Amino acid sequence: MIKVKDIIKSYGNGESSSQILKGISLEIQDGDFVVILGASGSGKSTLLNVISGLERPDSGKVFYDATDITALSDNQLTAFRKENIGFIFQQYYLLPDMSVDKNVKMGADLAGNKDYKTVIKAVGLGEKLHKYPGELSGGEQQRVSVARALAKKPKVLFLDEPTGALDEQTGRQVLDYICKLKKQYGFTIVMVTHNLNIAEMAKTVVKMNSGKVSDIYQNEVQKTAYEIGW
Amino acid sequence: MLIGIKNASKFIGISIIVCCAVVICTMFLNFYFDVQSVESQITSELSMIFYDAQVSTAKVVCMVSGGCLLLTSVVMLMFYIKHYIDTHKKELGILKALGYSNIKVAKHFWVFGMTALMGTVIGFGIAFLMMPRFYALQNEDKMLPEIVIHFHPAVFLYFVILPTVGFSLLAIGYAWWKLKRPVLSLLRNDFHSVDKGKKRTDDKLSERSFVDDLKRSTLKSKKALDFFIIFASFCFSSMTQMSFSMKDLSSEMMGAMMLVIGLALAFTTMFLAITTVIGGNTKTISMMRAFGYSSKDCCKAILDGYRPLSYMGFAVGTVYQYALLRIMVDIVFKDVEGVPVYKFDVPVMLVSLVVFIAAYEILMFVYSEKVKKISIKEIMIE
Repeated sequence: MIKVKDIIKSYGNGESSSQILKGISLEIQDGDFVVILGASGSGKSTLLNVISGLERPDSGKVFYDATDITALSDNQLTAFRKENIGFIFQQYYLLPDMSVDKNVKMGADLAGNKDYKTVIKAVGLGEKLHKYPGELSGGEQQRVSVARALAKKPKVLFLDEPTGALDEQTGRQVLDYICKLKKQYGFTIVMVTHNLNIAEMAKTVVKMNSGKVSDIYQNEVQKTAYEIGW
Repeated sequence: MLIGIKNASKFIGISIIVCCAVVICTMFLNFYFDVQSVESQITSELSMIFYDAQVSTAKVVCMVSGGCLLLTSVVMLMFYIKHYIDTHKKELGILKALGYSNIKVAKHFWVFGMTALMGTVIGFGIAFLMMPRFYALQNEDKMLPEIVIHFHPAVFLYFVILPTVGFSLLAIGYAWWKLKRPVLSLLRNDFHSVDKGKKRTDDKLSERSFVDDLKRSTLKSKKALDFFIIFASFCFSSMTQMSFSMKDLSSEMMGAMMLVIGLALAFTTMFLAITTVIGGNTKTISMMRAFGYSSKDCCKAILDGYRPLSYMGFAVGTVYQYALLRIMVDIVFKDVEGVPVYKFDVPVMLVSLVVFIAAYEILMFVYSEKVKKISIKEIMIE
């Protein structure tokens, strides 16, 4: 379980300082599908970065079971991310000079996963192992980043607006792959989005407004990627 | 405007290389012109042989050193212009989208020629400051009549005016050529095309680890940087060994000058190349760190691949300095009496190698500390 306690995070110094997260507390159960929903500037991406250990809060704690990751050193935090965390970003961040196979290997090597090609096949890119990012469409590139994240067998998968750069059809396709793989591997999902429709796919929705949690609720029915509006 | 003197200041490496080239070439070409003025006063056969040897040396040094350093600075200029365009693609794309023509944008790249002007003016000045001592040493045994230093406008034209104009035109022309691409490919972060040969290599070697693959990919992606690393090690190796090995063949001043130029070239080139390698891989390093790769793995992937290249450069430099001195002794000075026997200096090579390894590893350690400090936030800045 992930426990977030009284997180405060500011950017800038002195008069130009602005508080992005204003005392956030929440709990995420193992295997949950959480969507952090909010408008631009609400602090949702900053919260994701803090929970995933990419950024340190000014104050507050983030517990993964008994481990407080805010107390870990940089090296310990890196090792923690290696063991537990997977990332999917809006901009994919694939390595342009490496094939699909090698890009996914980036994640697989960290977990000693020799069987990583099954993940590539699972996202429908089995035929494109030796293609380079420049030869793929946006949707295919995002699927590579999904495969890369899952090849390291994360316990928690963090997604920052994963469909933000995709059209409706490919966006739905990518989300569908993620949900299918979640069922197969059982990891926890924490996804940031501003799209209210995508929130209907989640089990738990955390609504954010101006750096605070304005509401947390559970969806009675989790819709699939093809059932939601866009 | 998008391109200014501030941008050109980042091209300091070119200034240093050009400066080194101009120091050497100005001294030797000026000497070449001045020594010719005393030819008619030479009476003895021995002095004539010595005169011929001095003229040949001046020509060889001018051509070999000037040519090599000119070529290197041209490669460096083109590399940095390409790098500049790649890193400012969006801004240049916006200018083009607004209606600026390629040549109108490219014209602003003339400022990069100023890096050459800075190097040539400083080099020319240093050369004239050193010239009295240089002339005295060249004619230490008084085998030639007194050689008076003259200012030759042609030397100024060749080594100050022409390089500056040439570098400015080259910068404009190369930038114009590089800008000849669709506006959208500049505005978008398009991946470059991939050739099929690369694909085949990748297929064949799929059993390597990701870190090893990235190491190879880093080396392959910017071949100009590979060249600079080899060149830096080459300069260190050849110039340090030559400066000590030729102490019996030439003056101490020549040796010291060679050592200073060699070290300046080696460290400047190495510094600029490694800084560019790290700068160009910041996002990759940041991504690797986010995924959980240790700093050690990041350094291994980004920096370790250059180690064999630097040792290769050292080996080539060793062979080069031996061959050059051998040629000087066996061909240029073959008729001059009293020229000592030249042999490959093993102790000098070993000392030079040890110093090189120590310097290289210290430099890599410093840069690996820089890699450690790269923030994971780099991937969020877009």
